[in-house]
Amino acid sequence: MTTLSRRTLMGAALGTLGAAGLPFRAAQAAGSMTAAVYPGGWDEALRAVLAPALKQAHGVDVAFEPLFAVDQIAKARAARGVAPFDVFVLDPGPRVSGMDLKLFEPFDPARLSNRARLPAGYSDEVGAGVAAQVVGIAYNPKKVARPAGWRDLFKPEFAKHLGLTGFGTTFGTISLIEMAKSVGGSEADMEPLFTELRKILSLVPAVAQPAAMPGLFQQGQIDIMYTNTYTVTLLKSRGVDIEFAVPETGAAAFGTTMHIAKGSRNIDAAYQYIDTMISTPVQAALAAPPYSFVPVNTEVKPGADVPMKSIDDLRSFVTHDWTKINPQRPRWIDRFNREMAK
Amino acid sequence: MTEQGAWRLALPLALAQAAFFLAPLLLLAATSFATDENLGSLSLAAWADVLGDAFHLQAVLNTLRLGAVTVLATLLLAVPLALLHLVAGPGLRRLILLAAILPLLTSVVVRTFAWIVILGREGVINSALLSTGAIAAPIPLLQTEHGLVLALTQIEMPLMLLPLIAALRRIDPALLDASSALGASLARTLRKVVLPMALPGLLAGCTLVFASASTAFISQSVIGGGRLAYLPMLVWQQAMVVFNWPLAAALALTLMGSVLTVAAALSMLGRRAAHA
Amino acid sequence: MHRLAPADRPLALLILALAVIALLVLVGPVLIVLLTSFTTSQALRFPPPGLTLRWYAELFDPVRSAQIHKAAGNSLLVAFCTAVLSTAMATGAALAIARSRAGWARLAEGAFLAPLVLPGIAFGLAALMFFSWLRQPPSFALLVMGHAMIAAPFALRTVGASAAGLDPALLESSASLGASPWRTFRRVVLPLIMPGVASGGFLAFISSLDNVPVSLFLSSAETDMLPIRLWGMMETSLDVRVAAASGVLVAVAFLLLLLMDRAVGLVRRMAG
Repeated sequence: MTTLSRRTLMGAALGTLGAAGLPFRAAQAAGSMTAAVYPGGWDEALRAVLAPALKQAHGVDVAFEPLFAVDQIAKARAARGVAPFDVFVLDPGPRVSGMDLKLFEPFDPARLSNRARLPAGYSDEVGAGVAAQVVGIAYNPKKVARPAGWRDLFKPEFAKHLGLTGFGTTFGTISLIEMAKSVGGSEADMEPLFTELRKILSLVPAVAQPAAMPGLFQQGQIDIMYTNTYTVTLLKSRGVDIEFAVPETGAAAFGTTMHIAKGSRNIDAAYQYIDTMISTPVQAALAAPPYSFVPVNTEVKPGADVPMKSIDDLRSFVTHDWTKINPQRPRWIDRFNREMAK
Repeated sequence: MTEQGAWRLALPLALAQAAFFLAPLLLLAATSFATDENLGSLSLAAWADVLGDAFHLQAVLNTLRLGAVTVLATLLLAVPLALLHLVAGPGLRRLILLAAILPLLTSVVVRTFAWIVILGREGVINSALLSTGAIAAPIPLLQTEHGLVLALTQIEMPLMLLPLIAALRRIDPALLDASSALGASLARTLRKVVLPMALPGLLAGCTLVFASASTAFISQSVIGGGRLAYLPMLVWQQAMVVFNWPLAAALALTLMGSVLTVAAALSMLGRRAAHA
Repeated sequence: MHRLAPADRPLALLILALAVIALLVLVGPVLIVLLTSFTTSQALRFPPPGLTLRWYAELFDPVRSAQIHKAAGNSLLVAFCTAVLSTAMATGAALAIARSRAGWARLAEGAFLAPLVLPGIAFGLAALMFFSWLRQPPSFALLVMGHAMIAAPFALRTVGASAAGLDPALLESSASLGASPWRTFRRVVLPLIMPGVASGGFLAFISSLDNVPVSLFLSSAETDMLPIRLWGMMETSLDVRVAAASGVLVAVAFLLLLLMDRAVGLVRRMAG
C-alpha cells in the first residue's frame, strides 16, 4: 500500500464519520478566520471587544480557540504546516520558540494602519506587540508586610508565606531571574538562586503549578507570589485581598505579541485582526475595567493599577533577552525539578 | 456465539484501537528513538536520559508507589461500602450509588480547589484539629504524599465501587441468609460466598484505580505540587514547555510499560481466580 | 446479615465504620464545592461569607455565559457519542474475552487496556502528529475517536467484570433451544451484564466530559470544550461559575440516576 492510498483511505473513512459532525464545519468562508487566545480573561475580553470591532471595521468574523501560549506552540508544531489557527498570541518565551521552529509567516508591519501608534520596536518581521505585562510581587496586605523587593523573598518572615512556581511560564522565569540577580546571580549564572532557595525551601508553604496559585492565595495557603499586574487587578476586582508591589529594583515588563501562523489561508483577515487589536478604541476598551490590559497603543493611558503613565515608560522597566534565556531554560527547568524534589 | 466465533466480537474495538491508538503510539515510539520529532536521525539519547538517570528512575518508582498506595487506600474504604450496599434496602442503595458517582461529577478543575480548601494550612482538617486541641500548629497536608493519596482516594473510589457493586449485584441475598442460617460466621460467609463473586469486580477496580491514579496528571501536579516528582508531570513538561518530544515520548512509554505490567499481572490473577 | 451472632458483631461494626468513613470521604469535597457555588463573594471562597443563587443565574444567563453554553453543548455531544461508541465496542470485546480461555484473550485484554495507562497528554500529542501526517486536521469525528480510545478501557473493564461471571452453560442451553445469537444476547446476556454496561457507559461518558489533555490537541475553535474553558476561568479569576457548573452536573446526574434506575428495572421486567 503506498502512502498516498493509505492517506486517501483514511481521509475517506474520516470524511464519512465527519459527516455526522455537521455542527462543526471549519470556518473557511471568505471574511472569516480563527485566532488562538489565552483562556479566561483574554478570551472574554477579545470576544467582547475585538470581535465586534473587527466585524464592524472589516466585515471579518473571528472564531477563537482558547489555548495557553505553550499549548499553541505544541499544537502548531504537532500539526506540521497544517495551521490549526490563523493567529498566535504569545509571550516572549514561546515567541522565540515559534521563531526557532519557523511557525510564523513573515510579517510586514507596513500593512498595519495603526503601526504609528505603537512604540518603536513593537512591530517587526515576525509580528506585532498587542499588550504588555508588568511582573512584580503580589502580597496579601492583611497578612504580611509589603516586600520591598526580590531580595526580601529569601527572608524567613516572607519565605514562610511564599508560593513558588518554576521556569514553566514567562512570568515565573523572569521572576526567578530577578530573584537570582538580587542574590548575586545573573541570566548566565543561576547558581546563587538555587543556593538561596535551598535555605528557605523547608519554610515555603507551596511549590505549585501556576494554575493553582490564585486558589492557594485566596485560601491563605500562601500570601506572597510573583505574578503580573493583570492577575492582581482581576483578583482584586473579585474581592481577593491582594496588592501589587513594585520591587525596589524595578518591575519587569514584557510584550505580548501576535503572529500569523505559517500556512494560514486567511492572511488578509489576520492582518486586519491584528490591526484592529492595536487600534485606539479597542486598546482603550481593553485597558478599562473589567479587562485591565496594559495597552501598547501610545494614545491610551494604562489603568490605575499599572505603575506607568504610558507605554513609553516601558523603557524604564527591567527587560530580558529571550534569545539568551530560551536555550538555557530546559536546563533550568530540569534543575528546578531536582532542587525542589523532596 | 460459539467459543470459536467469539473473537469476532472483539474486532470493532481491535480495529478502532489499531487505527486511532496503536498507529499514533508507534509514531510516539519512533519519536523516542530519534533526535527530534521529524525523525531525522536515530538516537538513544532520550532512553539513556530516562533509564540512566537516578532522578527519572526515582520518579518511576514514586509513580508506581503512588498508584499502589492509592489502590490499598481505595480498597480499605470501597469494600466495606460495597458490602453495605449489598445488604442495604433500596433507599440506602440509591444513596450509596449516588455518593459513589459524586466525585466524578465535580470537574477536575474545581476539585483541585476543594482539596486546597480541605488540606490547606488554614483548611478544614487543620481548623478542626486545631479547635479540638489535637495539634498546636497547622500540620502540612497540602503538597504531601499523604494529602495527595487522600485526594486520589476520593477521586478514584468510583472506579473501584462501580465494578465492585456491579459484580456483587449478582449475589442472591438469600444465599447470604442461607450461609448464616447454616451457622457460618460472618467472616466465613464473606470469604466463601462473597469474595469469589466479588473478585472480578475487585480486580477490575484495582486495575482502573492503579492506572488512573498513576497517570492523574492534574491532581498530581496541582494537589501534589512541585516537590513531588511523578512521571506524568515530567511528560507534560518535556512535551509542552521544553519541547523535547523524544524525551517526553520515552518518559510516556516508560510510564505506560511499567503501569501496564502491573495491570496485566492483576488481570492474570483475576483469570486464574475466576477459573479456579 | 439480619441475624448477627455476637461473635460477628466486631467485624460488622468495623465494616460499618469504614463504610461511613468512605461516604464521608466521597461526599465531603463535593459538599465543599456545592457550598462554594452559593457564595456571595465575587471569587471562589470557602467558607462562603453568605449564600446566594446568583452564580447559577449568571451561569444560565444566555448572554453572559454564551460561550460556556456552547462549550457545554459541544462537550455533551462528544461525551454522548463517545459513550455509545466505546461501550458498544467494549461490550463486544468483553464478551469475546470472557468466552475464551485461549491465551490470545489474556493478551488482547492487556492490549485493550493500554490507552488507560498512556498519559493523556502523550496520546493527544501523538494522535495530532499522526493525523496531521495523514493530512487530517482536527475534526469532530477525530475528537470523538480520540475520546473513545481513552473511554473504551473503562467500559471494557467494567463490562468485563460482569461478563466474567456469565455461565457458559446458560448460553449453550439458549443456543440449543434454537435461539439466534442476537436473541440470546438480547434476552439472556444483556440483562445479566446490564449493570456492568450501564456503569461502563456512565464512566465512558464522564471520562470524556472531563477530559482535558486529549481535547487540548484534537479540538479546534469550532469544538471549544467545557473543561478547557472552565480551566481558564478558574486559573485567571477564580470564577464562581466553575463551581456552579459542577452543581448543575450533580443535579443532572441525580435525575439521570433516577431515570437509569427505572430503565434498568424496565429491562429486567422485559427479560423476566
